[in-house]
Amino acid sequence: MIVVVFGVFLLTILVVTAVAIVRTENLFVAVMLMSIFSLLMAANFFILDAADVALTEAAIGAGITTVIFLGALALTARREEAVSSGRMVPLAVVTVLAMVMIWATFDKPRLGDPDAPVHQHVAPWYLEKTPELIGIPNVVTAVLGTFRGYDTLGEVFVVFAACIGVLFVLSAGGLRDRSKEADAESIGLKHHLIPKVVGRLLVPFIVLFGLYVQFHGEYGPGGGFQAGAIIATGIILYALLEGETNALRALPRRVLLGMVVGGALLYTLVGVAGMLLGGNFLDYSVLASDPVVGQQVGIILIEAGVGITVCGSLLSIFHAFAAREAS
Amino acid sequence: MYYAVSIAILVTMGLALVRAILGPSVYDRVLAANVFGTKTVLLLSVIAFLYGRPDFLDLALTYALINFVGVLAVLEFFQSRSRADAQTGGDQ
Repeated sequence: MIVVVFGVFLLTILVVTAVAIVRTENLFVAVMLMSIFSLLMAANFFILDAADVALTEAAIGAGITTVIFLGALALTARREEAVSSGRMVPLAVVTVLAMVMIWATFDKPRLGDPDAPVHQHVAPWYLEKTPELIGIPNVVTAVLGTFRGYDTLGEVFVVFAACIGVLFVLSAGGLRDRSKEADAESIGLKHHLIPKVVGRLLVPFIVLFGLYVQFHGEYGPGGGFQAGAIIATGIILYALLEGETNALRALPRRVLLGMVVGGALLYTLVGVAGMLLGGNFLDYSVLASDPVVGQQVGIILIEAGVGITVCGSLLSIFHAFAAREAS
Repeated sequence: MYYAVSIAILVTMGLALVRAILGPSVYDRVLAANVFGTKTVLLLSVIAFLYGRPDFLDLALTYALINFVGVLAVLEFFQSRSRADAQTGGDQ
């Protein structure tokens, strides 16, 4: 019961934060409030027992989004331009839509109601059959990896397409002249002793933790999406400490693009391998002589593909922002 | 016991949010966001024990590791901006 009170409290301050984000004109303040918004969102997911989603929100929302927002902010003005006219029509539209949505929630089943339609459809079958067919404790990974393998493949290609789109937009003109400003611009936090020492200690642990999340996804919360984001965060930390040029020297842009493409290809090839071995596309049970082992091998391979693509995409986008000339 | 702790943490989160919204200086906001992150780590840990699933501590660990990167990004941002201001004469 008290958990419901927590949820209501967190949702209330979520609304307060959202209103504050809309009202502030200082863009840096908006970025800080966005990071708070993301933390609140993750706490809400966690209270609803959705640990995998909360981990994704933690890895992407709180860490990488803030870094990328700051990268964007370095390229733009500090304050939002004031909009003086034409606010009434959007306000009216939003109010009406909000009323409709609130009205629609009255038909919604109670929170956690076991008789809700969503719990009557395929979910009981997944819960019942996962131990027998896949043999792993985390049902979320089983659903993502094999039962809904097509959807996850689609998501990976969405990440791939989004990354290509962002790189395309950001590389259109205005690239910084690297030869001239390389020394001046990308020294990072090299000259600050405490962040440097502590940060250097943390980088290997963040990457190790990312690998743990990657390979422990079958047993606990985690998987390729979260792991890719955590590893990317570790490398971004390196870039912040040692300067972006050094990070690019360690992981050149060509390698990052290879990761973006390679991860998506790895996922697809696992599916094609299933076809060649006599099963359906993305049917992993034919990958090993024992179908359950085959499913587990398949899940590990596709999760690796997802992780590689996500990590490569986030790092490419980070470097693309850093390579732009401020206008 | 866990309830009392979580309520105390929630109150602190509320106070940090007030500071983040009111400001007035940028450093208040940075500090508030950082405090908020720390409180989220604590809240997640307490709720993990409340639910009796200490394996969910993984999440709190992720936050603890990742929060640090956000703060460093803010530092780097201000460092490069003040350098850019020094070059252009701060006329922005």
